[in-house]
Amino acid sequence: MIMESVRTVMDILSVFVLPALLVGFPLYGLYKKVPVYEEFVEGAKGGFKVAVMIIPYLVAILFAIGMFRASGAMEFMTEGIRPLLGLIGVPPEVLPMMIFRPLSGSGSAGLVLDMIQQYGEDSILVKMAATMFGSTETTFYVIAVYFGAVNVKRTRHAVPAGLIADLTALLLSVYIVTWLFG
Amino acid sequence: MLNYIWAGLIAFSLLFAAIYDTRDLLNDTYRNGANLPLQLEFKGEYDSRARRQTVTVLIDKDQYTSFYESRITEDLQFEGVLVRTEDGVQIRFAKDTQIPKPLGVIREMTSARDNDLRGPVSNFRLSSDSTAAATVAFSTVRFVKMQAIADAALSMAEIAVSLALGLIGVIALFMGLLQIAEKSGLIHSLVRVTQPLLKPLFPDIPKDHPALGMIVLNLSANMLGLGNAATPLGIKAMEELQKLSPEKETATNSMVMLLAMNTASVQVVPPVLLVALMGLQINQLMFAIILVTSISLIVAVISAKLLGKMKRYRDTDPNRNEKLAEGA
Repeated sequence: MIMESVRTVMDILSVFVLPALLVGFPLYGLYKKVPVYEEFVEGAKGGFKVAVMIIPYLVAILFAIGMFRASGAMEFMTEGIRPLLGLIGVPPEVLPMMIFRPLSGSGSAGLVLDMIQQYGEDSILVKMAATMFGSTETTFYVIAVYFGAVNVKRTRHAVPAGLIADLTALLLSVYIVTWLFG
Repeated sequence: MLNYIWAGLIAFSLLFAAIYDTRDLLNDTYRNGANLPLQLEFKGEYDSRARRQTVTVLIDKDQYTSFYESRITEDLQFEGVLVRTEDGVQIRFAKDTQIPKPLGVIREMTSARDNDLRGPVSNFRLSSDSTAAATVAFSTVRFVKMQAIADAALSMAEIAVSLALGLIGVIALFMGLLQIAEKSGLIHSLVRVTQPLLKPLFPDIPKDHPALGMIVLNLSANMLGLGNAATPLGIKAMEELQKLSPEKETATNSMVMLLAMNTASVQVVPPVLLVALMGLQINQLMFAIILVTSISLIVAVISAKLLGKMKRYRDTDPNRNEKLAEGA
């Protein structure tokens, strides 16, 4: 119950955040005697350049992920890792989600949808998958976009740090959902 | 690391595709060249001179199961046509309908344009005026996965470009807004308020630098589930961090920290897509999501910090020379 009202408040708040930014920034600028229109256009000029700069990075990441997904790797890895899963208390049905969440946003959304159809909304497996989806990002997409935008090629420890965070969130999703609903 | 993962994805997709295709060849999954038995039901009487005749195609479930060694639970029934061509009689059926797996792959591989199953008819035997038994042999299907990975690579390359170009408008909008915010001193005030909290995580950023303000905006947009706004804000934060970096092609510790915090993204409001998928169910899960992301945020921060202290990452730190100078 408390969760629900908190959620309503946050929902309403989040609806107003964007309009507040869109209107607030220019009005505040005007109040501070900034030539708002000129500055806006000046800043917005960068948009095209950034988007074009991201393209090679996105192509590189997405085509490799697309090939991997099309190769049937998922069925293979699911079979290979299955025996290990029992040891750490992870149901094998959520494994595809764990593999694909950092790789592909639309792919993992599709997996949640598949699982809803297969197991029903109330099943604990769907709850795990949805928690995984909500708790992690498409790490490789974020890396391509954020580093691509500033032309950084040597990412140093960004990938391992991101993946450690992902793995933590994925495993925690299983344990916490089991603890709450199991 | 990214080099290895990237190359690994490509190498493994070739490997898996090769394994799959070899297995299909060895098992003869698609029964290349073999005749699949069909029952045909004509509307009205069978006419041996008609060029085209509509027909209902029936496939018995037991025959199908033993033919493809792939179990189905009900007999299959499709609409189709019987076509007389110079090379003999051909059957075309199951256009645009749902069909079980080996047949589905055969359809995709042999008739992608028309999206139907087609093949020459043999062993045609009339059992009454309007029904007949026959067999059909589909074109040879092999190297399915090999073709699939090549197709996926090409189509993903296209998707990447449309994704990036689709971002132009939103990025331009937020960059314009942020320019105003910066010139009006809004970012500066934000930096001063949040500095004590965030400074320890981003020690490379000098005091009162606007980069921190952009980071705060990016992280808050993420928390509120505003994915559309978070991306351009994050890009802007990256640009500010890049201004501070002496080596433009290498990520600084602050960039890695920002990225790690983004991938762990604490959620207070669930992302729009998840709400669309789950509906009201999401209320139950919010507590779990907040709990999971809070812990994973801490893990992300700690691992970014600790990994940055490893020798191989310390040696590639763009700011290493300044740190040496400070230490001396």
